[in-house]
Amino acid sequence: MPRYAMIIDLQRCVGCSACSIACRNENNVTDGIYWSNKITQTSGTFPNVRYHYMPTLCNHCQNAPCVRGCPTQAMHKLDNGITMHDPKKCIGCKYCEFNCPYGVIYFNWDTPHKTWRNSRPLIKGATSSPAEEVKKVRGKAIPYYNPEREATLPGIRPRGVVEKCTFCDHRTRKGNLPYCVEACPSDARIFGDINDPNSEVSKLLGKFRPFRLREQLGTEPHVFYIRDFNPANYQPSKGGI
Amino acid sequence: MSQTKKSKGLYGMWLGLLGVAIIIGMVAAFRLFTEGHGLFNTNDVIIWSLPLGVYIFLALTSSGLTILASIPLVFEVKKYDTVAKRLVFLAIATLMGGFVSIGLELGNVFHMIYNFISPNFSSPIWWIGFIYSIELLTLVLKFWRMHVGDWHSRFSKVLGNISFFGALVAPLMIGAVFGLTESRVTYFGPVMSIYCLLLAFLSGIALSLFYDLMYARVTGKDVSEKKVEICNEFTRIFSYALGTVIVFTILKITIESATFVPEFLNYHKFKHAFGAWRIFHTEVIFGLFLPFVLMAIPSLRVSNTARMMAAALTLLGTLAMHMEILLAGQSRPVGPKAEHYPEFLSYFPSIWEWLVFLLAVAVMLLLYTLGERYLNLEEAPA
Repeated sequence: MPRYAMIIDLQRCVGCSACSIACRNENNVTDGIYWSNKITQTSGTFPNVRYHYMPTLCNHCQNAPCVRGCPTQAMHKLDNGITMHDPKKCIGCKYCEFNCPYGVIYFNWDTPHKTWRNSRPLIKGATSSPAEEVKKVRGKAIPYYNPEREATLPGIRPRGVVEKCTFCDHRTRKGNLPYCVEACPSDARIFGDINDPNSEVSKLLGKFRPFRLREQLGTEPHVFYIRDFNPANYQPSKGGI
Repeated sequence: MSQTKKSKGLYGMWLGLLGVAIIIGMVAAFRLFTEGHGLFNTNDVIIWSLPLGVYIFLALTSSGLTILASIPLVFEVKKYDTVAKRLVFLAIATLMGGFVSIGLELGNVFHMIYNFISPNFSSPIWWIGFIYSIELLTLVLKFWRMHVGDWHSRFSKVLGNISFFGALVAPLMIGAVFGLTESRVTYFGPVMSIYCLLLAFLSGIALSLFYDLMYARVTGKDVSEKKVEICNEFTRIFSYALGTVIVFTILKITIESATFVPEFLNYHKFKHAFGAWRIFHTEVIFGLFLPFVLMAIPSLRVSNTARMMAAALTLLGTLAMHMEILLAGQSRPVGPKAEHYPEFLSYFPSIWEWLVFLLAVAVMLLLYTLGERYLNLEEAPA
């Protein structure tokens, strides 16, 4: 059985957010919820200031606090290491969201894709309503609805349950890469089986010095970061007093 | 107007008031079930809010009352027999109020039942649901046995022992919900469990004291010498409980304000929910220190008015302390959520959250009232 992991090469990542847009499309993610997200950091103070960009997603931790804490086992581990959520079992206690050290679990506070369900036209007699637009393209709640998501999870998760990244388990089970990996224009995301020493992820983890988010917590995240993007140069100097 | 007529009128008005509160609360519950938690002033940073704080407060208070009831029922201190039945009933009614609050926090009553039947033994939330359900069941059975005059049969004793054990473990589990949260260092560790147990006992004894004094005042009944003695002893226990929680709270505040661990620095920047004077939160000053001072002054300690005031302040203080703990640990967005929210978030309950609070308290008070009326709560074994 493979153990899936992802490497994010921060030197290749240009911060274009294509991963986040691809994720929303692939998983029918509603407004206000981010399966794929980013942390932006600034270092220094003006005028000596830099901007850093770090993509984030569910870390599919080996020792996942969300799985341990879920009272109904709605949050569970698959054999391939993916941390999966079953909305049918979810009671909406939000403990996983409270417990996640990485801030990557979100709660459906409201009816998902509410805007698209609106049947009132923007301009009466001139434009169609969002609901009509959805109907016109035979969408389901949203015009860009992806029915493939339904293979392992409700296509759109209902109000009152949490949701998060699944490493696109509906794609990986068919031998496809997660859609954020597929969509990355600079190949900054590398996905594969960490148990296989010949996989790309294993090779890269051996080649660079990877780090993971909040490693000290012992959660064993399976999203690794390598390298860093910094084209700045400076004259060799020993400083001075 | 005769005294009986006047008291009947007041009783009817009280029931009417509770009825109105319950109807308003039911309307709020219906809105919540149909429209979801968008009605709460919560978001993906402030995840748990007033309904959960109220649940924690009421559930812990119920545990405190059960622990108190165990003095006569488990440890067989006979002189407290006269208050045992009332304590068990108050524990049941208070826990019912708590269940109303958590039911609406979850947004679906069936979710509470599902939680019970789909165990995850590593989850403190599952254990809380399980233990409190068992506790409620055993308390109801114990009350029934007491009501039919069976106080000390083998079965009745087993029920008392189970509910006592549940009342000890459940607060530890509530603390563990926070104490096992690696992501929030300010909560992490066994301290939260011990703190919850202490707060449970404190709010339990405060409620018992307040209720007894209020009951005597409202009914105007003569209080027997035996009951006065019990009230004096409960006041002493209340003072000890206050002292213990004060020591623990000062220790907690000292660590929080002295440490340089980044996550604890939250406390330096976080705008306390109820305000603060230097490092001392308002609810600690008025909900712990002031009642302790009141109970430390000999002339006030024997005054029923001062006792009632101290108990009421403690109840409000412990509820506020639960809210403060709950909010302080959630005030800062975790990970990428900082992208969409400010560095620190503040919270004020929406009208719907207040109505959940109202419904929970109204259900609890209605049960108290009906129990007092029909269930002969002062009964004791011959």
